[in-house]
Amino acid sequence: MSRRRLAVLISGAIAAAGSLGWPPSPGYVPILICYEVIGLSFLVAGVAAWARWPASRLGLLFSIAGYLYLLPYILVNLANPVAFTIGNLSQGIYTAAVAQLGLAWPTGRLRSRFECGVVVFDYAQLIGFSVAAAMFWNPAFVGCTTGCPANVLLIGDGSRSDLDTVNTIGGLVSLAVTAIVLTLIVRHWRSARGWSRRAMLPLVWLAFAVGAEQIVTGSLLNLSLPSLVSFGLAPLVMLAGPVLFVISTVRARTAGGALGTAIVDLEPGASPDRLRDTLARALGDSTLQLAFRQPDGSGYLDTAGQAVDMGRPDPGRVVTRVAGPDEAVLVYDEGLELEPQLVRLTSAAASMALEHSRLQAEVQAQLEQVRASRARIVEAGDAERRRLERDLHDGAQQRLVTLSLALGMARDRAAADPELGSLIESASKEAREALTELRELARGIHPAVLTETGLAGAIQALVERSPVATTVTAVPGGRFLAAIEATAYFVVSEALTNVAKHAMADSAEVMICQRAGRLVVQVSDDGAGGARPEGGSGLRGLADRVASVGGVLRVDSPPGCGTRLEADLPCP
Amino acid sequence: MIVDDHDGFRTFARGMLEAAGFTVTEAATGAEATEVARIAQPGLVLLDIQLPDFDGFEVARRLAAGPAGGPAPVVVLTSTREASDYGGRIAASPAAGFLPKDQLSGAVLRRFLARDPV
Repeated sequence: MSRRRLAVLISGAIAAAGSLGWPPSPGYVPILICYEVIGLSFLVAGVAAWARWPASRLGLLFSIAGYLYLLPYILVNLANPVAFTIGNLSQGIYTAAVAQLGLAWPTGRLRSRFECGVVVFDYAQLIGFSVAAAMFWNPAFVGCTTGCPANVLLIGDGSRSDLDTVNTIGGLVSLAVTAIVLTLIVRHWRSARGWSRRAMLPLVWLAFAVGAEQIVTGSLLNLSLPSLVSFGLAPLVMLAGPVLFVISTVRARTAGGALGTAIVDLEPGASPDRLRDTLARALGDSTLQLAFRQPDGSGYLDTAGQAVDMGRPDPGRVVTRVAGPDEAVLVYDEGLELEPQLVRLTSAAASMALEHSRLQAEVQAQLEQVRASRARIVEAGDAERRRLERDLHDGAQQRLVTLSLALGMARDRAAADPELGSLIESASKEAREALTELRELARGIHPAVLTETGLAGAIQALVERSPVATTVTAVPGGRFLAAIEATAYFVVSEALTNVAKHAMADSAEVMICQRAGRLVVQVSDDGAGGARPEGGSGLRGLADRVASVGGVLRVDSPPGCGTRLEADLPCP
Repeated sequence: MIVDDHDGFRTFARGMLEAAGFTVTEAATGAEATEVARIAQPGLVLLDIQLPDFDGFEVARRLAAGPAGGPAPVVVLTSTREASDYGGRIAASPAAGFLPKDQLSGAVLRRFLARDPV
């Protein structure tokens, strides 16, 4: 706490203590303590407002109201006629400071010349009527006869009737000023938007409470109220000022907390639209705008597509840049400027959420790139397999065939030499076996039948070669993308290989059907089950292969109940 | 007639079949095959499935129409691959049958000519 603020508090406390000597009778002590509490609460609120809203004059206004409330009680205790007189006539002036506080809420500045005039007039009429009343007020009217300092403004012995007349006129004028002030406060509230409007709502209610108190306890209605009401209602209503400050503080803290919670709850990669809505809801400012610099540098557009002029924002609006590479700005109600901490928090939250979204988008883009790249790698691998099979067919296989034929011819011509004939026959057998092995190798590299006939023919060929009795219950006859055909083929091939090697099955079944843009490949057997995708059965590699085209592989293999393998492939 | 783009195979197959008593003509492509068939009107065509222009199935379809109004030759498809590598395409073609290249012999072809392939 700065020295200035400390000085305000200490002097306020001294003033409060000094004023305790004022009570004309011991019965007023509790009420007087109430007054002390109220005055001090204004001073405390003033010091706190100075600390919290350094840019606002509210701290100063709270302090002025506090001193104007406490000082009269000190002055009347100084046993000095002049101080006594000034103390008595200045007892109601604090209401002008309170009216100024209400009109200047929340920035601490009055909004127009008219409002300045209203406030000046209020101070003037209060002082004027107090001086006029003092001329007719004799301390003896309140039982202060002995030891009471003289009223230096008193004319003669004073006049109760003249005093009442002055007080009645003064009360009427005060009431009129109060009505004007209340009307202006309501107009401020109605014209306010966003944060300011919500921030002013408690003020409106409290202003009406003050107005009601003035009507009830004022001299206009001349109600015969018990002294506890007439002296007690005003202190209670006066507490409205500090209460207002506390409400606004709590509200800012609540908004800060809500902001944190909302950002935590915001789903990853939320759109800027959603981010704006979340921030606006947490702050209670529906007018909040989140705008981004256009890629062509032409300006800023908010999430609703409205242009935002960074140089000249709309009246009552403030623009703040959001840290980060997105070149985003927040546009909000100027009332929020009183809460720089909240603005910083909002900006940081927006920055964090945008950064999160950006990273999310980057990761998503990278994931898409990796997916596309994986699909390309698999496609390139398939193409390379096709080329290898073709090369084997056109090259080594042809040469082995030719060699085999040549050996056959040589064998026929060596009929006269049985030993040579036997040797050639052996060589011919070796060549045929090499050819058979090479065919199997080529088929494993890439099934020519898939290229030649498509999925239906290739699956039929697989099933015919399967050592386990296998039936094909359905397979579509058309052609599909090469990558999809190859994947479906390898799923069936790998599944039938596993059936033959591990399943101990009597029979197997293959079903391929096309539905709703998907190609579903199912291979089931009546074997031992217990196949695990994470095992070394080649299922993991198959799952990778299926995933490379955007498909999903499912394995259902309860022990003792056979195995059902299903690949769900996209089929555009 | 031997239709195959592989010179070495044609040479050895020709030698083998001539030794078995066949009169042999050759073609290296599908287009050449239909042209030679029109002129030479072979009784049997040993037709490789993998040709540089048309595939053997297409050539078989053209030959089945009967070149120049003459009788259609007996067409035997052949390949270094096995019949199962072509699924049902062989059965669906007008060819008389399929013979893996390494199993070629005069005796087998004679059985095709006798409409009694193994």
